[in-house]
Amino acid sequence: MHNGTLYLAGESLKEMLLPVIGSELLVNLIMTLICIVILFLLVATSALVFTLGERKVCAWIQVRIGPNRVGPWGLLQSTADMLKLLTKEDIIPQGIDRWLWVLSPILIFIPAAMVYALYPFDDGVIFADVNIGLFLLIAISSQSVLPFLMGGYASNSKYAMLGGMRTVAQMLSYEVPMVISLMGIIMITGSLKMSAIVEAQSEIWFIFLQPIAFFIFLVTALVEGNRPPFNMVEGESEIIAGPFTEYTGMRWALFFLAEFANLLSMGILTATLFLGGWQGPDFLPTQLWFWIKAFLMVLVYQWIGWTFPRTRMDTILSFGWKVLLPLALLNLLLTGFGIYIFKWLL
Amino acid sequence: MAQTEKFVLNMGPQHPSTHGVLQVQVELDGENIVGAKPVMGYLHRGIEKLMESRTYQQCVPFTDRLDYVSAMNNNLGFCMAVEKLAGIEVPERAWYIRTICCELNRIASHHVFIGSLTNDLGSATGMIYAFRDREKILDLFNIICGARMTCHYIRIGGVAADAQDEFFQKTEEFINYVPEMLDEYNRLFTGNEIFQRRMQGTSIISREDALRFGMSGPNIRASGLSYDIRKLDKYGIYGKLDFEVPIGENGDNWDRYLIRIREIEESARIIRQCLDNMPGGAFKGKVPKVLKPPKGDAYQRVENTRGELGFYIVSDGTAKPYRVHIRRPSFINLQALDHMCRGMVLADSVTAFATIDPLMGEVDC
Amino acid sequence: MWGKGLVAGLRVTWRHFFGKKETVYYPEEKLPMTERFRGGHLVLDVEKCKACTLCAINCPNEALKLRVEVDEDKKRHIAAYVHDIGRCMYCDLCLEGCNFGALKWDKNYEGASYFKEDFIYDAVEEAKNRRNEDE
Repeated sequence: MHNGTLYLAGESLKEMLLPVIGSELLVNLIMTLICIVILFLLVATSALVFTLGERKVCAWIQVRIGPNRVGPWGLLQSTADMLKLLTKEDIIPQGIDRWLWVLSPILIFIPAAMVYALYPFDDGVIFADVNIGLFLLIAISSQSVLPFLMGGYASNSKYAMLGGMRTVAQMLSYEVPMVISLMGIIMITGSLKMSAIVEAQSEIWFIFLQPIAFFIFLVTALVEGNRPPFNMVEGESEIIAGPFTEYTGMRWALFFLAEFANLLSMGILTATLFLGGWQGPDFLPTQLWFWIKAFLMVLVYQWIGWTFPRTRMDTILSFGWKVLLPLALLNLLLTGFGIYIFKWLL
Repeated sequence: MAQTEKFVLNMGPQHPSTHGVLQVQVELDGENIVGAKPVMGYLHRGIEKLMESRTYQQCVPFTDRLDYVSAMNNNLGFCMAVEKLAGIEVPERAWYIRTICCELNRIASHHVFIGSLTNDLGSATGMIYAFRDREKILDLFNIICGARMTCHYIRIGGVAADAQDEFFQKTEEFINYVPEMLDEYNRLFTGNEIFQRRMQGTSIISREDALRFGMSGPNIRASGLSYDIRKLDKYGIYGKLDFEVPIGENGDNWDRYLIRIREIEESARIIRQCLDNMPGGAFKGKVPKVLKPPKGDAYQRVENTRGELGFYIVSDGTAKPYRVHIRRPSFINLQALDHMCRGMVLADSVTAFATIDPLMGEVDC
Repeated sequence: MWGKGLVAGLRVTWRHFFGKKETVYYPEEKLPMTERFRGGHLVLDVEKCKACTLCAINCPNEALKLRVEVDEDKKRHIAAYVHDIGRCMYCDLCLEGCNFGALKWDKNYEGASYFKEDFIYDAVEEAKNRRNEDE
């Protein structure tokens, strides 16, 4: 039986609703709707939290203090930013491919939000615990390539075009080492189910069993999430803002929303796959452990991003194919041997 | 066989990494650069012409606005040219103060170089660190002359006012801070493998090519030619000072960066020597209120932060110069951009531009 | 080993993350201006001024427009001292040209304005206002 804090809360809500509504089917439906709303709220708040969080972290690293004027400690800064973006003029450039251009910021948000359905937030709390969980997750997240390319192509701008092309090159080539590095985890767990992967870490976290895979995943996650030092897609010193160059106001904000949703996504995914997810010593509730780990990983990603200069396109492509891919394959081999020896010892 | 089409990308005049208003017409084949044509003139103010209608003393503040991140060196160049023209003696104390100011300004200018380079390479953190340290020097200038960037401190015949004890004391403090500061840069950038990977072996310019382009300053020294006006001409008190001229080997971006880091060390050494041997006496020589140099012309070159800065002044015997021409190092160094960018990728054009370190105020004059 | 420099860099930023911050909380906390600071409005001492107009002659950009009145005793008086900040480059040549020490800067660097007209002011008038305030 599950006993996560969030799971118990959900169960008690269900019990409260059952006598009021009567039908169990209806209650389940309502619970599903509530879950969807909560997930979307989570994605939206992550953007609100991280616009301030990112600026604060970057400021502290750069010996500054960051936003501190709007509200206490600048807490309302993200609200002010949002209001500013909403009231901005919506500039539609000439000569664009109108449909693709409008669709791109909307489409980019879908995979970013959809992956949240597959994260085990707590013991027994996962929206869709499908048996091909990890596979589905990677499949969905790789869809974010297309909107980038769409935006880049449709903008009728050379900078945007270059940025769009860069996205395709870097995201496609880094998916391969990422998937192969995760194969080790799947081999140990013996399942693609997300909840099973978390459960398999009850004894020992995968970061200790799979240190090479963790390193590869860290790098590839930075690339897939367009985070510095691998944010060649934006590359503001050479191609202004890549595919987002021609977007203004709310359309641009949607890109950013997706980016921050991705950032939290990266944190959650690393915590789930390598740091034991919601599991932890008993003195803190499981839900708290989950968020501590996720935010710690986000902080690590930000820390790396604000320290290093940007890499160059050709360097990271060769790094991906020539270093990370062989390393991932080696890890796969070692894991295979390890499992074999472990079974033989038993 | 797939066919690709070349296209021209207009970088600038409004672009995050053109350090001002420069337009570079980059011809691209995919991401590879086929040619890069700098288009200048967006910041032209006609300073050479403006000087013709001002008296010699009034011209000096205009030189601040040429290379506005190393204003002291510009002041020095113009004042030395006028002193040569009119035969004015400069007291020794003035020379020591001038040298301290110029070398401090060289460090400040290299801070801007490091800051803009790291920013162009995508590390905004580096820029903040470099500018944080530059602020210390600007505060020193604020003490000695009351302005932070457009100093107008070095005057014809000496300096504007005597340096205070507070200035010497704070300069000493800053010099003591330099090793710590450089250590931090070295740990953050110089040792960083991504940084090295992006800079080493890119945008190489050979010694012969650098000479042919007429480059000067740290750019030509990175290509392996020991060409430093401070050593060659030994103007002022530089002959008495003990310092080295750092020289690179390959002439790539990495060498151009390292040279500047080492120049900061050398400048700190020079300042320390000046502080230790500071003589007493007057801070300004005898200069008539209305300065009328005899008919003739004079050319004076000084080692500016960016290279050989030359002032050519023609006098017709009146209180105003008949003609002033300025040899601006940034302008001449920038010509090599096309040569340096060819065969590189787009991201390298930004790096090459940052390591040439041109300043648009000086390029367009 | 490859990657050593990366870790060293991470350590630098980690230290600064928790370290002391350099920012000055500007409107609440202001940096002191130095004694020689050049900036703001010109403070004219009308008693000391002999209306020799050397300051205006020294000005490289003709930022100073002076009106001099001569009274019955053939004594010169400064009637208007219009300083156009828009043309001024704070080179300090006017102060240095003054033989009577009648000029100084008020060192107010918060001079931003929406209108061009705000940058033209009369130092004689300001001197009068100051005197009225004192009384």
